[in-house]
Amino acid sequence: MEELRLILTKIDADYADIRYEKMKETMIVFNGKELSRIGSDTTDGYVLRVLKDGGLASVAFTRITDAEQAVKRACENACLISRNIKHPVEFAKTEVVDDTFTPELDEDPRNISIDEKLEQTRNYNSIPLQHKEIIMTNVRYQEVIREKYFLSTEGSKVKEDLITTMIGGMITSKDGSLLQNVRASVGGSTGFAKLRNREEVFEQKAELAVDLLRAKPVAAGVYNVILNPSMAGLFTHEAFGHFSEADLIEDSPTMREKMRIGATLGNDVLSIIDDPTVAGQLGFYKYDDEGVKARKTPLLQNGILVGRLHSRRTAASFRELLSGHCIAEDYRFAPIIRMGNIFIQPGTKTLDELLAELGDGLYILDSKGGQTSGENFTFGAQYAYSVKNGNQGELIRDINISGNLYKTLKDITAVGDDLVLCEIGGCGKGQINIRSSHGGPHILVRNVVIGGA
Amino acid sequence: MEKLLDIARKVSDKVEIYSIEQTVDSISFENAKLKDINSKLQSGTSIRIIKDEKLGFAFTKNIIDEEELVSNALVSLKGGVDAKFNLPFTNDLPRLYTYDPSIENLTTTTIIDECNRIAGIFAAKTDGQVNIHAGRMIEKISLMNSNGLDLSVKSSYYYCSPAIMYPGSYASISRVMTTKKFSQTPGEHLDFILGTYNKSLQEAIPGSGRMKVLFLPETMYVLLWRLQSAASGKSIYENQSPIADKLGEKLFSGNLTIYNDPLNDQFPGARTFDDEGTPGRYFPVVEDGVLKNFYYDLHYAGKLNVQPTGHGFRSAMWGGEAISTKPIPSLAHLYIKPGDKSFSDLIRSIDKGVIVANALGAHSGNIPNGDFSIGLSPGLYVENGEIVGYVKDAMVAGNIYETMKNLIAIEDTLYPAMMGTYPALLFDDVSVTTKA
Repeated sequence: MEELRLILTKIDADYADIRYEKMKETMIVFNGKELSRIGSDTTDGYVLRVLKDGGLASVAFTRITDAEQAVKRACENACLISRNIKHPVEFAKTEVVDDTFTPELDEDPRNISIDEKLEQTRNYNSIPLQHKEIIMTNVRYQEVIREKYFLSTEGSKVKEDLITTMIGGMITSKDGSLLQNVRASVGGSTGFAKLRNREEVFEQKAELAVDLLRAKPVAAGVYNVILNPSMAGLFTHEAFGHFSEADLIEDSPTMREKMRIGATLGNDVLSIIDDPTVAGQLGFYKYDDEGVKARKTPLLQNGILVGRLHSRRTAASFRELLSGHCIAEDYRFAPIIRMGNIFIQPGTKTLDELLAELGDGLYILDSKGGQTSGENFTFGAQYAYSVKNGNQGELIRDINISGNLYKTLKDITAVGDDLVLCEIGGCGKGQINIRSSHGGPHILVRNVVIGGA
Repeated sequence: MEKLLDIARKVSDKVEIYSIEQTVDSISFENAKLKDINSKLQSGTSIRIIKDEKLGFAFTKNIIDEEELVSNALVSLKGGVDAKFNLPFTNDLPRLYTYDPSIENLTTTTIIDECNRIAGIFAAKTDGQVNIHAGRMIEKISLMNSNGLDLSVKSSYYYCSPAIMYPGSYASISRVMTTKKFSQTPGEHLDFILGTYNKSLQEAIPGSGRMKVLFLPETMYVLLWRLQSAASGKSIYENQSPIADKLGEKLFSGNLTIYNDPLNDQFPGARTFDDEGTPGRYFPVVEDGVLKNFYYDLHYAGKLNVQPTGHGFRSAMWGGEAISTKPIPSLAHLYIKPGDKSFSDLIRSIDKGVIVANALGAHSGNIPNGDFSIGLSPGLYVENGEIVGYVKDAMVAGNIYETMKNLIAIEDTLYPAMMGTYPALLFDDVSVTTKA
């Protein structure tokens, strides 16, 4: 911290902060029966941000000997921005904090030998390989331990550790020239214990990969669907969450108009919240990478937009409350606004009631990655069941969904009474966030476009 | 690096050291105004050691202690990862023009002035929101191994990517220019963006069905991602390729030639050797529709007992660091051979069809199987040879082994885009699904 303080003292600016991070990453990777990677490596680096005369610039650097050059470049660029910008950047006021936060863990992975991690990974990897139709697995153990040190010229001083572990990956089945794949993963932010005794996850997904070889491809068309919590979570993340991130809409007058507080965006059964403060879930953290305390942030209340995710910059620009959602992937990046833990609040319907309400359509399960471009979004599912007269029928594959932010939220007509949050994340908004957490109850969505195969 | 090599050589049979240094300045304009300047001064080193045909792997950003890096690699070695390959000795490589020293003197102010110039041209001709990403990068990669290999390459990059956004959306029309030194974005790029955007402002609903679909250079990656997966030595070894037994067979339209060419230094990033030191060369993957080659790095070539083809790159799909990534087979310099049609010829030849201007969800389909099912963001609707509007809430889907047989025409110009340098390609009989 003293080294960081010395760098900050050399800066002539209205505000500056510096973050040093040491990251230890342990990776064990199996491709089929073969171990293809094992090791533990430590990397580190610095990110400096300077706010000067309304211009904000950042420099990420590796070597401490480059600190002087980084300071010079950040100050020059901040001045350049200041001369070229219409509205000077301001930072919303935040409490000065001096805190060290170490999350509680159920079995600290740092105290587990690499041999034990290897055995646990080998064990889960071997489960799918017992099926003759499973031709390949890509199963990995990943442990990321980030020690973050943050210091600002306002006097904030935060040390926080983020510890993430997971075992999981892809399972591929084959019949003739037809290939099918599913994902199986366990993990989270609570330590190694979460990775033990989870054989059933890998067994179920292995059976699914085999069954998909005989499943029916979906016919392209428009469907009414039920999404399970994994899909509802990804849906919330892609269809709505990104446009709660104030930096994405800050400089888009047309999106800012559509996303104004008080706008009716969804059906009245729909309420969405982002809450990184729930201990134990994947997206948990205490402070963001601007030293702002994370807050539970209601976003949509009965279909009406009530809040947004902010950095200090956007909170000032929108004149809204700070939320503590400005997060960097690691020491290579300046922070940007990220979802922490976003989910639809549970309603009152059981799954059977939702199926009855659906009548005919599809019951779609388990997410497979998505993407958004503002109003339109697309995401994939690992599998689905046809539903006729409220009864679950045959297995269906090749599900990819597309929708529209301003229409689809109004098409969510019923919300289930359950709530499941994801165990592993991974959102790529220019930077990866492995702790991007989402979830929800089962939901009923009408008029969904499915691309078919 | 030499010191690290000496220390590692004493405890292993073979050693490879890869190091990278990067200086990056990225400038972004939003709504025609400068928003952010982010810079990076990054470096790192990665080591692979081989002992008794087993691999040890370790990396670090800052070499504070060479012994520690080697000892991390030795710990990794104990895991028993197979390494049945030799490290190459490569020298006397051709000289390529990869670095233009003027990049050192390119000021951020010059780049900002260029963005302002483009924003000014757009402002006079459209009400659409203008966003621009531009920047420069200097990269030096060095590679040494215990076989005496000692290679390095320094590259310069300048890029400028203007976009005009559709209202209420981040869907946009954009085109990127990448060069080795600063140059103004040519008028043709700006005219393409403006013309395409201005013609497509009305929302159009083509209705569902099978029709002509034009993939722009910017979206060809959707299809070629599937082919790259299938032709990779990794997929062949893992029995995950649907075309493993199809070498020499005609898979696609006879007009389609897809090749990798690391030696083409017209665009930035050319290379005479891959990230393992194997020399690169012109390498056809598909020639006149016929599958010609699978591509390999050292590891998978060793596994399958074939010659490495110079395609071992430390490419991380989701932006991971090169030093933390082991080389994998990668078509890092992919091209599609241009055809004979101008962009406007292509549009004129469409009676009813959709242009995939930007795609969503290319990563979420069944990639190994060749399936794609993407959202349009935007799609443009073409009727009677004219762009008549933009399409939302629509998907285009198919399987590349069917779609790429139905090729109608290829644009006559190459554009740098995601995962390669491509022209636009027009296909017939592709499934389009829309809401109405």
